Amino acid sequence: MMEKPEKIRCALRINNEDYDLFISPHRTLLEVLRDELQLTGAKESCNEGACGTCTVLLDGLPVRSCLLLALEAQGREVTTIEGLAKDGKLHPVQEAFVEHHGIQCGFCSPGMILTAKALLDENPHPTEAEIRRAISGNVCRCTGYAKIVEAIKAASGKEI
Amino acid sequence: MNDTSIIGKSTRRVDTTAKATGEAHFSADLYLPRMLVGKVLRSPHPHARIVRVDTTKAEKLPGVKAVVTGRDSTGEKWGVFRYTQDMQFLPADKVRYIGEEVAAVAAVDADTALEALALIEVEYEELPAYFTVHEAMKRGAVLIHDAFADNINIHVKIDVGDVEKGFKESYLVREDTFNAPEESYFQAEPYAVVAQFDNSGNLDIWSPNAGPHLKAKPLSNCLRMPLNKVRVRKITIGGAFGGRSEISPADVICSMLARKASRPVKIAYSREENTIATRQAHSMTAKIKTGVDREGRVVARDITCHMDGGAYSSTGPIAVSVPFLCMEQAYRMDNVRYNGFRIFTNKPIRGMYRTHGRAFACGIDLQLDMLGEELGIDPVTMRLRNARQVGDYTPTRSFVPSCGMTETIVKAAEASGWKEKWGKLPPFHGIGIGCNSVQTGFPMGIRGGSEAFIKFNEDGGVTVISGVVDNGQGNENMLVQITAEELGVLPEDVQLITADTEVTPSDPGSYSMCETFVGGNAVRLAAEDAKKKLFALAAKTLECDPEELVARERKIFVKGEPERSLPLAKVVRMGLSKGLSISGKGAYWPKVDPRREWVDNPTGQLSETFSFGTTIVEVKVDPDTGLVEVVHAWASQDVGYALNPRVVESQFEGGLAMGGQGGMLTEFHIFDKGRVLNATQLDYKVPLACDMPPITNIIVETHDPKGPYGAKEAGMSVAMSAAQGYAAAICNALGVWIHEFPLTPDVIVKALEEKKVKG
Repeated sequence: MMEKPEKIRCALRINNEDYDLFISPHRTLLEVLRDELQLTGAKESCNEGACGTCTVLLDGLPVRSCLLLALEAQGREVTTIEGLAKDGKLHPVQEAFVEHHGIQCGFCSPGMILTAKALLDENPHPTEAEIRRAISGNVCRCTGYAKIVEAIKAASGKEI
Repeated sequence: MNDTSIIGKSTRRVDTTAKATGEAHFSADLYLPRMLVGKVLRSPHPHARIVRVDTTKAEKLPGVKAVVTGRDSTGEKWGVFRYTQDMQFLPADKVRYIGEEVAAVAAVDADTALEALALIEVEYEELPAYFTVHEAMKRGAVLIHDAFADNINIHVKIDVGDVEKGFKESYLVREDTFNAPEESYFQAEPYAVVAQFDNSGNLDIWSPNAGPHLKAKPLSNCLRMPLNKVRVRKITIGGAFGGRSEISPADVICSMLARKASRPVKIAYSREENTIATRQAHSMTAKIKTGVDREGRVVARDITCHMDGGAYSSTGPIAVSVPFLCMEQAYRMDNVRYNGFRIFTNKPIRGMYRTHGRAFACGIDLQLDMLGEELGIDPVTMRLRNARQVGDYTPTRSFVPSCGMTETIVKAAEASGWKEKWGKLPPFHGIGIGCNSVQTGFPMGIRGGSEAFIKFNEDGGVTVISGVVDNGQGNENMLVQITAEELGVLPEDVQLITADTEVTPSDPGSYSMCETFVGGNAVRLAAEDAKKKLFALAAKTLECDPEELVARERKIFVKGEPERSLPLAKVVRMGLSKGLSISGKGAYWPKVDPRREWVDNPTGQLSETFSFGTTIVEVKVDPDTGLVEVVHAWASQDVGYALNPRVVESQFEGGLAMGGQGGMLTEFHIFDKGRVLNATQLDYKVPLACDMPPITNIIVETHDPKGPYGAKEAGMSVAMSAAQGYAAAICNALGVWIHEFPLTPDVIVKALEEKKVKG
């Protein structure tokens, strides 16, 4: 039997809540979010950093949680899709995705929405080219991206 | 025009708020108490006899709770038809492709399960393997399945009119051969299954599916258990595109593990497994001979098509037929012969794919352009002269009750500025058109109809029970819009119970483009049934005839006299006080010819109605790099009636991305002796946001006589015609006809070099 690494302590702050966990050191943030905390909004798809479905925000910036060890997220602020809506109200980016039909099957949506939020936080009025570049690491197989781009434009207050 | 308040409006989809917040659960998101992790051992050989499987060491590994192999299988084989039942999930005799399931393990965690897989010893005796249609059909080739001589899985033969006479009478005849390799569905969600058995032997199973009832029956067969104990549960589904209509080996294997371990088991496929071991789209060679008259009208056509069927039959008879059927619907052709062959090879399993064969569709359409060029007729005129018309019969005798083919061509041509652009664009700048037609349902025998129930609560809230499934396209919202419209309630008043085989009545599933037409009609009829009861009660109180009543905005009132009204909830309670609960029942069975059979009798009404679509594309090609820049795309489809225009547009845009941008520019599989070399997300290139062109959507409405509010299939004719439009535009830009798809930079550069050599 293969020797299993000893579990070690890992303190994470996720969606403004503190978690004190014991995890195997080789676990990715994505695995810990999903398997330990059942925060399943972050999805596993390609597991090589190419599809963007596992995107979460780390101190406000989008990262691939499948490529990040959970231990590396210690001392940082992790935001998952579950932490975006406040007081039962959708975040404006979520609202725009729903309103503008930026969601079909929904599998890419959590990662896509978080990436869009990070873009708008940094650049509140992006051009269409900037929007398309920002989400080019998030693969959507359903929409052809047209209504996603439209939703992000709407969330930025731009005319569509 | 429909006098409606909710139907025809771009309401927000009812399912997307949960998807925007992470609340929506997909199969892999389920975590059940005491759930185990399942992993699958796969064949490293493309074709080999299984001599021995020894699982002793794996079973002894602490943490392993169940191991299954072919020995645990009931021996039942899967195939859509009786004559194609050839796939035993977990085979006992031999493996037929690299990646085929040989054994599986359920353990307390993923690491233990993977370690256990490494401890399973399998002894194989390798057999000759075939990776092309040509090799597999060679005389003396070893049979991949004993029952299929020459490794020919399916041969569909259609012969209508007098093809030879037609060619003799033609002014111009051409023959071309077109080729295209395999494609992947590449659904966003990799395949995942969760299965559990209770002590009474009931199976609960969650997995991505394009029809829960389509899955329940083969599960009951393969596991030898009664159908009502197979409970395929509702779950959010991350895309299907034709690939999740059939049962997957993982469904059965996960169930076998759960039964053996007496604990819930989850198998979540990696991206690579999703590519290799779910299903792929067929590769294809299409030899097309077409004769036309002086005006470019098709007089005769003879098509021979060879599809690489991979290791098992799957939906073979349908997959061989549909590429032809789409084109016989799109264009008039009186004398036509089709020989469609599906050949077994030692490559991964294949299924139905959204664009149904690039070589076929693009071949037919490009050849029209070639013929037009020789005749001096432009592509739009060629298509207008051959376009299917309402009231026609197709060659295989399907009546066409509504048809906007011509309108889609005219509108797309106008919007794109075709007249100003055709023949006038600078070098390496081109424009092209593609047309196609797609069925709204297939003949599906006893699975062809859908039934729905509706019940009311005393506060006026409605619950709809329907087998319709949503793979992401918006089917749930469609049911809610129909219900709300019919019953005069608001979308938020409607609750859905869908796609759960324990509760919902049978339904054909979303895989034959029929959910709106069949499932939507069933719900509409159920709502009408409930409404009739409401109106009978209300008419007495309002002292009018039930026929005079309308229901809108939670009220029932006399038409034209909104002040003579009753709150709908009050009418429901009036009923209850009289011992009458308000409910409704509806069923819809599409009028297709039950004698029609894919191979034995390919004639008669195939589908009750058809959609028609045109895509025009404008491109610029860099002759040095072969890179294509898509300047603009115009997507037009006759959808009958757009129940929710934004949802329909979304289907156009997604179809164009998959069929055109991905399907014609970047997507294809590379194999080395049966091994898929580009199974991962990094290696298989699907379109990204920065790749997509601006798209103009043109919805054409012909108000189908039988569709709910006139609606029929929405989006597939764009997905298919997009591939054709892309191919035509690129060939136009290059000034050279290409017969190999997709049109990757190397294909384009090679074609230009050959053109240079030829001068």
